[in-house]
Amino acid sequence: MSTILDLHSHSEASEDSRAPVEAYLNWIKLKRHERPLDGIVLTEHRQFNRNADYRALEDKYGMLVLRASEIETDYGHMLVFGVNDDITRRFDFADVRLPAQQVIDEVAAMGGLVVPCHPGRPNVGLCEHYEKRPALDNVVAVEILNGGSRKGENERSAALVAKFGYRATGGSDSHMVSLIGVCATRFEAEVGTIEELVRELKTGEYEAVDFRPRPSPIARAIPVEAK
Amino acid sequence: MAVEYDPAIIGKVFDVTDPVPVTAAAVRDYCEALGETNPLFTDEQAARKGPHGRLCAPPSFAVTFRNGRHFYQHVPRFGRSGFDAGKDVEFIHPIFIGDQITLSSHVKEIYEKTGRSGSMVFVVIRSTLGNQLGETIAHIDHRFMHR
Repeated sequence: MSTILDLHSHSEASEDSRAPVEAYLNWIKLKRHERPLDGIVLTEHRQFNRNADYRALEDKYGMLVLRASEIETDYGHMLVFGVNDDITRRFDFADVRLPAQQVIDEVAAMGGLVVPCHPGRPNVGLCEHYEKRPALDNVVAVEILNGGSRKGENERSAALVAKFGYRATGGSDSHMVSLIGVCATRFEAEVGTIEELVRELKTGEYEAVDFRPRPSPIARAIPVEAK
Repeated sequence: MAVEYDPAIIGKVFDVTDPVPVTAAAVRDYCEALGETNPLFTDEQAARKGPHGRLCAPPSFAVTFRNGRHFYQHVPRFGRSGFDAGKDVEFIHPIFIGDQITLSSHVKEIYEKTGRSGSMVFVVIRSTLGNQLGETIAHIDHRFMHR
């Protein structure tokens, strides 16, 4: 049984989002025919929302709601999965200049996983930093599909994945309700907890999936003589 | 851009306005300007039968109150330029005709973030609206971006 999760989303706990978690789940319920998600991962900016409890909402909507973080490092923005007390004691997530290599290595040693997100994005993506400095070691996966990317950014991410052989995830990077789940990650295995998510990201089979609506093809005009 | 500031400024009230009376004319003008037709805000008789038993102003009337003349002098600045990055308004208690509204403002938060266009510093100023009974009417968080 496979599991489809949006691995990158922001609720109103992030300062630049106004999306309530319940509204996300309700929207997914309404849009399930287009975005067949089993759950979402909330990756709040520069913090870990430790005390949030979404179990009642999970039961109400039959969907998984996991918590992670989006941090800012000297190599751009990165998602941290499997955040625990050891990790938050070791690193100040509010620091916008966290040392990426150290974070990747130590988070892995403490049971989590760091996934650089929107690598093709200017200034805060891995690609631009790789042009100036050595590539990072021990990167397992990067976000190849980001729902908030502008033209060319996901393509740059794809080129990075092809060059370095990274595994690839997808996430909507949604800050508003209607964008939740437009990009996601399909896991071969069943994922029901954050521990299982970290395990699958490290060793399982998965792929980025794109649920963004395709633009309708423009009808071609048929010359009168051809009719 | 290094962000250096005296942490003592966080939470310290720097601006308190004189009380401003809420008049029926001001609420009526506001409703007319917005096309507001809800009888709870526009019809005294209907409002008497409503949840508050009297006319009140639409919640968004809270944003019509102005900060003090020297408000912007107290907004900490970082970098070379900036812009208004929006407002969050939390409505807590209705505003009634005859209320006297006071605004008091403090620096709520200063934080950094990075984005496509580089590093930014955000300053959040919270203005709290209170009435003559000491009740909190609303919180308005003004967000300023600097770089």
